[in-house]
Amino acid sequence: MNTVKQLSRGRFLLDRGASLPLLLPATLLVLVFLVGPFGYMAYTAMTDLSYANPDQNGAFIGLDNFRQLVRNDPVFWDSFWLTIRFVVASVTVEFALGFALAWLIWRFIERQRLLTTLLLVPMMLAPVAVGLIWRLLLQGDFGMVSYYLRAVGLLSQQSAVFSTPYLVMPTIIAIDVWQWTPFVTLIILAGLMSLPKAPFEAATMDGAGPWRQFIDIMLPLLRPIIALVLLLRGIDAFKEFDKVFILTGGGPGTVSELLSIYAYRVNFKNWNLGYGATVAFMVYLVVLILCSIFYKAVYWKSPVGKV
Amino acid sequence: MLANRLTRGTLGAAMIAVALGTTSVVSQVSTAAAWSLEEAAAPYKGATIRTIGEALPPLEAMKKLAPEFEKRTGIKVEIEMYEHSEAVNKVMLDLNSRRGRYDFIIQPHRELGKFVTNGHLGSLEKYLDSAELRDPQFKPEDQLYPRLWKEISWYDGKVYGFPFTALSMYMWYRSDLLSDEKEKEGFKARYGYDLAPAQDWKQYRDIAEWFTRPDQRLYGTALQGKRHEALWYEWLNFLYSFGGDMLDTKSGSECGPVIVNSPQAIAATEYYKSLKAFSPPDTLNYFWDDVMALMQQGEVAQLIMWNDSTYAVAVDESASTVVGKMGFDIVPQGEGGKVAQVEGWSYLVPTSSKNKEAAYLFIQWMMDYDQQLNQHLNGGATARPDVYSSEEVQKLPYSRASMDSNAVARSKPTVPLSGEMTDILVRELSSYLADEKTAKEALDRSAQDISTLLGSCAPMKYPVE
Repeated sequence: MNTVKQLSRGRFLLDRGASLPLLLPATLLVLVFLVGPFGYMAYTAMTDLSYANPDQNGAFIGLDNFRQLVRNDPVFWDSFWLTIRFVVASVTVEFALGFALAWLIWRFIERQRLLTTLLLVPMMLAPVAVGLIWRLLLQGDFGMVSYYLRAVGLLSQQSAVFSTPYLVMPTIIAIDVWQWTPFVTLIILAGLMSLPKAPFEAATMDGAGPWRQFIDIMLPLLRPIIALVLLLRGIDAFKEFDKVFILTGGGPGTVSELLSIYAYRVNFKNWNLGYGATVAFMVYLVVLILCSIFYKAVYWKSPVGKV
Repeated sequence: MLANRLTRGTLGAAMIAVALGTTSVVSQVSTAAAWSLEEAAAPYKGATIRTIGEALPPLEAMKKLAPEFEKRTGIKVEIEMYEHSEAVNKVMLDLNSRRGRYDFIIQPHRELGKFVTNGHLGSLEKYLDSAELRDPQFKPEDQLYPRLWKEISWYDGKVYGFPFTALSMYMWYRSDLLSDEKEKEGFKARYGYDLAPAQDWKQYRDIAEWFTRPDQRLYGTALQGKRHEALWYEWLNFLYSFGGDMLDTKSGSECGPVIVNSPQAIAATEYYKSLKAFSPPDTLNYFWDDVMALMQQGEVAQLIMWNDSTYAVAVDESASTVVGKMGFDIVPQGEGGKVAQVEGWSYLVPTSSKNKEAAYLFIQWMMDYDQQLNQHLNGGATARPDVYSSEEVQKLPYSRASMDSNAVARSKPTVPLSGEMTDILVRELSSYLADEKTAKEALDRSAQDISTLLGSCAPMKYPVE
């Protein structure tokens, strides 16, 4: 009876517009830190603002920057496709390894808490620190990993990882996998641990083998978790900057010039801020489109429902 | 009679001249005696001036000297030190925000055009003309290398600063290896001439080849091949020495025809890459810090490097294994004759500075002989020839190379968009080193992009078909 009274009083307050003050702080934060800067970026993308060139003082030029970017900027497009390849490769490997690891831990390991703590270590490192550590480990003259790669014959005596163009991107992907596979493992493991036992017991009673249970029960039940992991990793990988900046600076040549490195160069090397904002806007747009396509694909006719 | 009159007249004129001269000397002496740093700084006592620069020995030396200035003037000096690009980026953001965080800045001269044309810097002429602020003993026009000063601290005929460091690149070599009798014998037998510090690029390559012995962890040279400004700076030595250039202009502040894809530039670039064979395997991942470390560890026979890093290799025993084994000389000569690529960092006073006068007084004080000598002996690179003449500086093994390089300093573009020009060249040179394209393709693309960037003032002298 009391509960009912409280609930109805709560509803009454909400109805009377008392929800507004409660929502205000969060709304303000979103407006000030997300919507405002985004709006300013969108506006800057339509200007010729440059800190370097005194002739470009921020005049409004409409969609000229977008036209230039789409039609006449091969460097942007090279970086774009390189970034897509990087995202697909790194997230696929991270997911496959992370899932396998989570399943093995869930199935066979008793002391899961200790292991999960250890797994957190690479994730807790700042990306810049990861870059610096691997720069040292893979340094061509005295790097420990380079030394062992040479010792086991995986790297020739006269070559070094970051000076051999075809090895650069696979190495960056491998480092990303080293850093982020534990993240995938932890999330999937949490999902596995929260699975209900009943459907599996029922399936066993009905004679379904482990493979059938995995495909028909476990994967559908884990679908929202898998979608979440892929989405988070995909967005994060698309924005990858720190490690590549420290390790190669986008080189040698253009082999590791991801979109974020290109955006950095336009904005903070050349100080062409109008055009730089256009590049950033396009990155945002692409991420938004990819996410919504992905979201629709994953949740379309989902048996589990939305997260 | 006439003779008598002439003699009398001459004597009179001479006396007047002597009298005038004496008056002038007396007045100069009295002005000099009248001016003192303490008095000039009195109105600014209690102020704090903040600056920013690259975290290297010259700035550390300045930090150690600053307390003396603080003691004499009561003006506090705060110094922020950052890595190269960080020091440049922070200034750019501060200047554009007009916050005025920095009362004076220490910046590379390639930034000058951007700063001046966007109104971030004021000329220092008014301080030089001010009787209250200018120390009569401070005569930069006589006390600095004139070409160097104009190259690194002037823009469009106006003075904006004074050199903090006169940075040039020259050849570093292992004198112990080059004077070793056994090496000399073997080298002569193979190449037909005596082993000595390279005077031209053929000798440079021969020496690089001779000393490349990976099994002994010794390499003939080390290129700074990372996609980084270091690559561009190093390549400029080859470009200039081979007789090439980026723009066909007489000064850095001018815009002019693009000649970066000239036959000389292509030859220089191809030669540059040919040295990769004598460089350690990780050479495409090196910038200045890496090659300095290699030299300190004694793994390289010769290379082209900066003078402000020389101290850490040639003098600092705590950091280097090759102290006493190093020699230095101007870069080898090509078709372009004796040239040096010079990049100075300058003291500049932003228009947004809140303590311009106090900042000027500090800068002027730092340009004094004593401070310059101290800074130079602690890893600096002064632009004052009289400092190089001092006995202590003469003892430094790299003084001769520094002086020779300063004397043939070559200008480079400082126009507002020079930073983007550099970025284009770094990208294309790195692509060439990574075998993505040929030297001609890389330089043609650079020329096209630079010409488009600079506009009608920069047509291509060597059009691409």
